[in-house]
Amino acid sequence: MIEFDVRKEEGGTVVGPQGRLTMVSARAFRDTVTEVIERDGGTIVIDLAGTTFVDSSGLGALVACLKTARQAGGDLRIAAPTEQVTMVLGITNLDRVLRPRATVDEALRG
Amino acid sequence: MAETARRELVDADVELESLELVHDLLEEWWPAVGEVPMQRRFAFETAVIEIAGNVVEHSRRLDGAPGRRFSLVLEADDRSLRARFEDNGLPAQVDLSTVTMASLDEEDGRGLALALVSLDRLEHLLVDGKNVWELECGRA
Repeated sequence: MIEFDVRKEEGGTVVGPQGRLTMVSARAFRDTVTEVIERDGGTIVIDLAGTTFVDSSGLGALVACLKTARQAGGDLRIAAPTEQVTMVLGITNLDRVLRPRATVDEALRG
Repeated sequence: MAETARRELVDADVELESLELVHDLLEEWWPAVGEVPMQRRFAFETAVIEIAGNVVEHSRRLDGAPGRRFSLVLEADDRSLRARFEDNGLPAQVDLSTVTMASLDEEDGRGLALALVSLDRLEHLLVDGKNVWELECGRA
């Protein structure tokens, strides 16, 4: 099952889904990130280094979280996607809006 | 690899948690399949999970009745990777020719489009009252 590491860093809050972000876990992911947005605001970085697989529901959850973050006056960035995640972001063109950064540090810097 | 590598998931409940069983089956199958380029593996795996998700979502949307079950067979030989889903849900009306990728700000509507671009062949059939999905792509 998926787990979410949440940690505060200088420049934002980092959420790291550990495992598969799919139809099974997308709701829990949205709830976790929404809670972080409401609590911390500002920049949220989704650290995908430990996310082994993302399906269309996971992509939809990322889009929803991006909207929520921006509506709250902040931003959401993704970092360090694994190969499968990079592939689905490319196929769906979502890399244009989610614009993955190579590292969490890079994402925190903007 | 001269023989067919085959793994089967029999009579699984049509529910969200069964997607984990599909993932587990894929992970058990890949070592028997032998060498496949990583991009091809990711593409096939993505398509299989999207169709599994479609089976669950379709059943939940149409009736959500208990007793809905599905099976999955994964097969690989020297030429191709194949998957076949069968489920006893209500017959689905699927027209793959109308499937397009969702626009960038939409939260839904990418599953079948992802599966289509990841495969050489994707078909939905109704066989003896059962929904059947057939997926295939070359292994190289």
